[in-house]
Amino acid sequence: MRSRLRFFDAIGLGIRGLSSRVARAVLTATGIAIGIAAIVAVLGISASGRADLLATLDELGTNLLRVEPGAGIFGNADEVPEEAADMTLRIRPVQQVTATTRAEATVRRNDLIPELETSGIAVLAADNDLLDVLRASMQHGRFIDDATAQVPTMVLGPVAAQRLGITDLNPIPRVYVDGTWFTVIGITAEMEIHPDLERSAVIGYPVAAKLFETTRSPTTIYVRASQEFIDDVAEVLPATVNPEQPDAVQVSRPSDALDARRAADEALTNLLIGLGAVALLVAGVAIANIMVISVLERRMEIGVRRAIGATRGHIRLQFLIESMLLAGIGGVLGIALGAAITIGYAASRDLTLAVPPQGLALSVLAALAIGAIAGLYPAIRASRIPPAEAVRK
Amino acid sequence: MTAFSFLADMTSVLELAGVDKIYPGPPPVTALNNVNVSIAAGDLVAIVGPSGAGKSTLLHMMGALDRPTAGTISIEGTDIASLSDRRLSGLRSHRIGFVFQDFFLINGITAMANVAEGLIYRGLGRGERTRRAQVALERVGLGARLRHLPNQLSGGERQRVAIARALVGDPAIVLADEPTGNLDSHTSEEIAQLFAGLNADGTTIVVITHDKDLAARFPRMIEMRDGALREAE
Repeated sequence: MRSRLRFFDAIGLGIRGLSSRVARAVLTATGIAIGIAAIVAVLGISASGRADLLATLDELGTNLLRVEPGAGIFGNADEVPEEAADMTLRIRPVQQVTATTRAEATVRRNDLIPELETSGIAVLAADNDLLDVLRASMQHGRFIDDATAQVPTMVLGPVAAQRLGITDLNPIPRVYVDGTWFTVIGITAEMEIHPDLERSAVIGYPVAAKLFETTRSPTTIYVRASQEFIDDVAEVLPATVNPEQPDAVQVSRPSDALDARRAADEALTNLLIGLGAVALLVAGVAIANIMVISVLERRMEIGVRRAIGATRGHIRLQFLIESMLLAGIGGVLGIALGAAITIGYAASRDLTLAVPPQGLALSVLAALAIGAIAGLYPAIRASRIPPAEAVRK
Repeated sequence: MTAFSFLADMTSVLELAGVDKIYPGPPPVTALNNVNVSIAAGDLVAIVGPSGAGKSTLLHMMGALDRPTAGTISIEGTDIASLSDRRLSGLRSHRIGFVFQDFFLINGITAMANVAEGLIYRGLGRGERTRRAQVALERVGLGARLRHLPNQLSGGERQRVAIARALVGDPAIVLADEPTGNLDSHTSEEIAQLFAGLNADGTTIVVITHDKDLAARFPRMIEMRDGALREAE
């Protein structure tokens, strides 16, 4: 003569226990739902965002250095040697070098616009391989080549194009640069880590020299070096490009900005996950609290169940299942909510959706574990009520 | 009712010998004081006495819901002192049926589901539980109320559902604690008749009541006072 409770009957008892107090169950499960939703949404959004960020970093490479030979407070751009870029190429780990020089000129949409309204667009003379070294691409048209570098042609950055009101090359636009009409032959794509180039108008060195007396003395040098020696290269660059005034040289790594953003994103993500975890903890305490109250209220039921043959284990199991169901329902609701938030956010920001499936499974397990832990004490308490006392009038 | 009833007649279903129950204080309360009683198979016994006399405590002892401080309790020849809590639960699920004053039905599920609940700790499948529940409800005269919810039933009907729940597992003994305490006199009379009918079919029944008129109709009556028994003739 043993008492036996079938597994599905035990689950049924749990469901019935919850469904007899629906409002309470929903409110209690909401706590878990909010915690899980927060964690899932944070994980999903940061995973989606990070996927794009890492792709950008990969694409642009982290082995690019940006050198401004005469930018420091002691710097005088005129005194930067013309052969600075060539000297840089002699550093052994350096793979590619390209330079730009600021031309003393202003760009205007046409000759009727006053000379002082430059729209903040800088005119840069550049080498033909600028985009190649930066791994940037064209949005419209093509970049300057050996032929077009000789004549008044120009490539605009996307921000510069927008400021000049140029959206495409049809019909072929012309702009006015200090007395000469330049034909716009291309617009570059966005360059996330080179905002200065996005605001620039790029022309060839030969035409710049001819029209604006621009020298080869570089304003900015872009250096691509092998990744493992990048720090060593950065160290010797100042003396190489400007031997007379190495202190005036500024060396930076444009990808650092992205890296910093990634680190900030990660810190924020961890913080938000921490908040979600706190929410889950609070929700767990709420479940434990509600279950303790439920045990007190249902003394009679516990007594009757013991009288019809439930063992202590059966009572314990019933309340444990109830608590786990409560948390489990909250977990599933939370995942749905969190996933919806992630999908909505990714869609609105045009991000690649990346909801980690193992994260979802883990969330449900976490919810169930919280339910089990929260329900343990109330369940044990319920099972310890002496049956004779529970049925006493 | 069964083929073994001639055998059962000779053995006692329930045997209490020198049973004391003292609730630890302070101050300690003696609920049962040297109780000796034997319930034979087929008995229909009323236990009467004023409130606080220890009737409920005695019933809980008889139903293996509680253990005595001293003395022995045997249910169908088994000394319950030797049984673990799990074994006691098993014993209750198979051999004992309880009826409570407040019915203790589950609201929101049908009469039949309530009765079937009495078998849930027997590990039987749902179909078998429902089938037996229907039989038990028919035995207590509620064959037409199978699918009613408790709050659609009268007090007397609810108590019948509770009695069906106690009967559904075919127990050796049915223990009822003030089963008519919440019912009017007419309905109480019906319940008394039901117990008499069930007993005539062979069910062993012990009923606690403070209603002496009701008790007087039962073949055997035990009076309780201050935790001690006095058999009435």
